[in-house]
Amino acid sequence: MLAVLPQLVVSGIATGMLYALIALSLTVGYRATTVVNFGHGEMVMAGAYALFVFAGFGLSFAPALILALGLLFLWGALTQRVFMRPIISGPHLSLAMMALAIGYAMRGGARLRWGSEVVTLTRPYSQDVFMLGPMVVTMDDLAISGFVLVLMGSLSILFYLTPVGRLVQAVFQSQRGAALVGLNVHAFHAMMWGVGAALGAAGGALLGLFLPLSPDMGVWTLVRGFAAMTLGGFGSFHGAVIGGLLLGVMEKLLGFYINTVFIDITAYLITILVLLIRPAGLFGRQTVVRI
Amino acid sequence: MAQPIVTPGPTSPTPRAPRLPRWLFWLIPLALLPLPLYLDQYRQYVVNLILVYVPVAIGFNVVIGNLGLLAFCNVAFFGIGAYTSGVLALKLGLPWWVTILPAGLMGALAGAAASVPALRGVRLFYLAIMTLAFGELLRWVYIRWVPVTGGSFGMSVPPPNVFGWVLDNEGHKYYAFLALAVITVVLTDRLLRSRFGRAFMAIKDNEQAAAAMGIPTDRYILLAFAWSGFVVGIGGSMYAALIGHITPIAFDLTELILQFAVVMVGGLGSLTGSVLGAALITTAPEFFRPFPGFLELLFGVLIVLVILFLPRGLASLLARLHPLFVDRYYRD
Repeated sequence: MLAVLPQLVVSGIATGMLYALIALSLTVGYRATTVVNFGHGEMVMAGAYALFVFAGFGLSFAPALILALGLLFLWGALTQRVFMRPIISGPHLSLAMMALAIGYAMRGGARLRWGSEVVTLTRPYSQDVFMLGPMVVTMDDLAISGFVLVLMGSLSILFYLTPVGRLVQAVFQSQRGAALVGLNVHAFHAMMWGVGAALGAAGGALLGLFLPLSPDMGVWTLVRGFAAMTLGGFGSFHGAVIGGLLLGVMEKLLGFYINTVFIDITAYLITILVLLIRPAGLFGRQTVVRI
Repeated sequence: MAQPIVTPGPTSPTPRAPRLPRWLFWLIPLALLPLPLYLDQYRQYVVNLILVYVPVAIGFNVVIGNLGLLAFCNVAFFGIGAYTSGVLALKLGLPWWVTILPAGLMGALAGAAASVPALRGVRLFYLAIMTLAFGELLRWVYIRWVPVTGGSFGMSVPPPNVFGWVLDNEGHKYYAFLALAVITVVLTDRLLRSRFGRAFMAIKDNEQAAAAMGIPTDRYILLAFAWSGFVVGIGGSMYAALIGHITPIAFDLTELILQFAVVMVGGLGSLTGSVLGAALITTAPEFFRPFPGFLELLFGVLIVLVILFLPRGLASLLARLHPLFVDRYYRD
């Protein structure tokens, strides 16, 4: 039983990279506007379908991916600008409902167009398998992990080492302060939602490499993104990444050592347990008000 | 000859509408009584479906509208009510009318369970995510607990039976459903117009202030969730009786958006709105069944438009029309 442990951990980390990316994309939008995008899963779904459409125009993988990410960036920014900004000072319920409703509308649109077709993306690499000592590593695992690592690496360089990144850090620290020194906080909100949507779309593109696309894939990803985010602590970037990796490994462990049916509900169980026991997660700040 | 100048505007006094007694509302169910005489079986089924959604919507509205908490677990209560009623009828052979109360009580129990995170201080998006996970976890249980729930294929429920009288056509079910819908509306109305309802409102407006004023917020949150679960659970048992076949897919996230649309379009925090929303929105799936996806698109766009342009829903339009429709939170 223990002999398969390293194998489970390795494939868990590969899936976890994907969850980490989705949790990270959720966190970007959340940190910028303190609104959780309940329609974020549909951004992931839309990213995968956009890639499919652009690939259908005869583009190869990389340009199609760039176009898809750009499209989702625009759509995410537009969503924030047109639908969220008018009600941003309203009750949280309307904000959550608005995001959820936009997501549902997108899902409905996807189902109308592609609901009855089986849509798959073609991998831009061959499906090889490597042996790493006793462990089997698939090309999918490598491609996903590599892509996510490169993406995260470039994002952290952008965030921590460039002037633009410093501006973003400033707004994250204090929106009012940033507005006082002349930063356009509204434009920043829209931009960050766009970045979140584009990152989510990248997650969707990766997911589409090994799963057939479906209009319902958004829910699946959103639940896992939430679980990773909750586990790592809401609003924490490295928390989101570590939470995602842990979630990926835990799914594999629970699924193997207890029962395969647990793979589906690991994310739910983690969400519920973490929020009940330690709502701040591993790295989040305690923000819950007790009365 | 100079015409006298009439200046309409804020200075001219608006005529007060004549006061109408609230017992006039009782005329609505009375007027609806002869409906089965005019409807065929299918139309009657659609009307029954509306009646099922009346308790579902008012239960949901108590938590998200009146208490103002982001709880997404209404579908879970609905499913628990339906499965409780179905399992009791199928496995224990109980007649349907006996299962209504247990279905409500199981719903109330689930409501109490769902309020635990809220009592532990989980709020806002955390609560929404958690209750969403709770609902999906339950759906997983329906699918996996095959010996009891019948798994993904669901379970067939025997035709409903009231005091030994089998309701085998839609017209018969209609009267039982109308009675239940009226009872739940009246009871919830009484609850909201008592100090409980006012406490919910205080918690919604400012929880800390409510607590500082000596309102035991914990108890009221628990009560609101339990009541919501109870009413929605009864709605679930009605659903089981109406459809006759319960499957886990009936309690998925599409159902959640339907229930959200009912409450949001009808009017958040308004009892009139819940009934109105149930009457208007519930029928939509019947028209758009051949176009999968269209319903989600429609409800999504509808909710977006309502939030942007009519935040208090259709009930606010009705309230503008006549003061009788304004929701009251006090006794006359």
